[in-house]
Amino acid sequence: MKNLPLILLIAVCGAVTGAPQRIVSLSPNLTEIVFSLGLGDRVVGVSNNCDWPAVAKTKPKMGTFWQPNAEAVIAARPDLVVCETFAQQKETAETLKRAGLNVLSLRVESIDQLFTAIARIGAAADCNAAAEKLVANVEEELGHIETIVSPAEKVKVLWVIQAEPVRVAGVNTFINEIIELAGGHNAIAPTVDQYPSIGTEEIIGCGTEVIIQSAMGTEAIADQQQTAQAFWSRFTNLPAVKNKNIYVIDSDTVLRLGPRLPEGVKSVAQLLHPELFAQTHKAGP
Amino acid sequence: MTDLLTPKNLILKVILCLVLLASVMFACSLIGTQKVSLKAVFEGPGAGPGQNVDYDIYVNVRIPRVILAAMVGAALAASGVVLQAILRNPLAEPYILGISSGAALGVMTAVLLGVNRQLWAGSPVAGFAFLFALGTCWLVWLVGHLAGGASVTNLLLAGVVVNAFFYAVIMLLTSIIRSHELKSTIMWLMGNITEKSYPTLVLSAALIVVGIAILFTLCQKLNVLTFGSQEAQALGVNPRVVTLIAFALASFVTAVAVGLSGLVGFVGLVVPHSVRLVFGPDHRQLLPASAFVGAAFVVICDTIARTIIAPSQIPVGVITACFGGPVFLLLLARHSRKAGFR
Repeated sequence: MKNLPLILLIAVCGAVTGAPQRIVSLSPNLTEIVFSLGLGDRVVGVSNNCDWPAVAKTKPKMGTFWQPNAEAVIAARPDLVVCETFAQQKETAETLKRAGLNVLSLRVESIDQLFTAIARIGAAADCNAAAEKLVANVEEELGHIETIVSPAEKVKVLWVIQAEPVRVAGVNTFINEIIELAGGHNAIAPTVDQYPSIGTEEIIGCGTEVIIQSAMGTEAIADQQQTAQAFWSRFTNLPAVKNKNIYVIDSDTVLRLGPRLPEGVKSVAQLLHPELFAQTHKAGP
Repeated sequence: MTDLLTPKNLILKVILCLVLLASVMFACSLIGTQKVSLKAVFEGPGAGPGQNVDYDIYVNVRIPRVILAAMVGAALAASGVVLQAILRNPLAEPYILGISSGAALGVMTAVLLGVNRQLWAGSPVAGFAFLFALGTCWLVWLVGHLAGGASVTNLLLAGVVVNAFFYAVIMLLTSIIRSHELKSTIMWLMGNITEKSYPTLVLSAALIVVGIAILFTLCQKLNVLTFGSQEAQALGVNPRVVTLIAFALASFVTAVAVGLSGLVGFVGLVVPHSVRLVFGPDHRQLLPASAFVGAAFVVICDTIARTIIAPSQIPVGVITACFGGPVFLLLLARHSRKAGFR
């Protein structure tokens, strides 16, 4: 079992006295980190949007990711609250601090920041070893994917956040990092906006070889795939359209910067370089 | 209204409103997503944080929030009364003269500049909102004045155009702003009451109470002003001076409210008219009554906003609009015949 060392480490963590015993997480990706560090049993509250791992859904709800409920958090009597740093969560964090709670605010907008966040949660929850192990695991898996895709030529990718009007991921985003790690290259040039809305001319001119659309929600992805194919079929000059390389993918592993990142990167890499993965799959167990 | 407004009568009505507001605030402080027992609250904070959760919730979440909602409501309603009087326009409300778009532009600027550090009296975003709101009012006043200060139509026109222009700039900024911050900005535009620290509350409450108190001393002159500026001049009231002072104070009070809570709509329009329909148009009672009723109204709306889809919350501006519109229409249909506002 691959996770055995991790589980052992967790057992060690739990034995340490003084570590937080009641944790509240207000953001889905932070919840994933907390659970991956083996702290799931100590979680006493999550945001309404936290749905992974499945057991997170059974934890008491503390309001939405966008509007956390300070009352519910205080009532959960946490000794550690982890949250994001944008305005609503920051305001909640201030309120919670005034009520004397121990709040850890983390900005997670790049892969580097993800590693920092894991380390800081590890430090706050007194399980540095598990955090180091988790970071190492994620790094190793990402490195593994990188070795597979590195010999191949970079594929031009247009990452669509929203189809009508078309809004795509620009180069200053973690999605761009995912594209690069998966052996791709963003089809659009640097923009002022992180997630720019682009016009027909730009789409036609970008010459993208693959179009990836992150699904809205996790259901009816097949329907969304059909809609997307119908929508993009009008851009007949694009290699992506000619070769039918249009994919709607489950957005949870790619739009959430959490420990499942390698999973997301791998799913993207498989779309960009199916031939490479067909081989390794045969070679592997 | 044929009744004469005696000081005794006025004081009685003010006390009545005050009692109403106090009971609404108390009742709403007891409602929330968590059950809080008052008995436990009175036992004090205990040895440290987390010892008495009821106390922590009541003192650090409920009370600041209810006070903040009351302050915002009072400021917006009072400012609405004054602006309707000086502009002699029933559609006037605190946001009509560019205050909202100015404040929103301030928030956008703060977000774009990335100023995000917590200060003693709240976030710099609130400060930016406040300063931009005041700056916009000053700009509107200046343009209205240059266009011919005697006519309030110019002031109104300047306000509407500045509003429209600033919204265009906001749309421009919206299209280049970063996504997380964009959502935060939208929440702010919908009016969003959250808990603030006590220093922030005390400072803002002082500013709002002083502003409304000075406005109250102008009420008799505002009464005269509603006859029209020539008539006011004939009665010994200088319309230019009264308008300037009232305008400045109303803007100031609104700017404080906007800095605290974003754009909470409908209060400045609906509350003064509703109070006028019930109490009559005399500003000496219309102003204090509107302030109290406005405060109670926003406190109730915020209580709904934070409990109706618990544990999630809705921006309070959404509730004031959904709730305020129908209530106002009902009052309008029932009372408009006997009310004196034209």
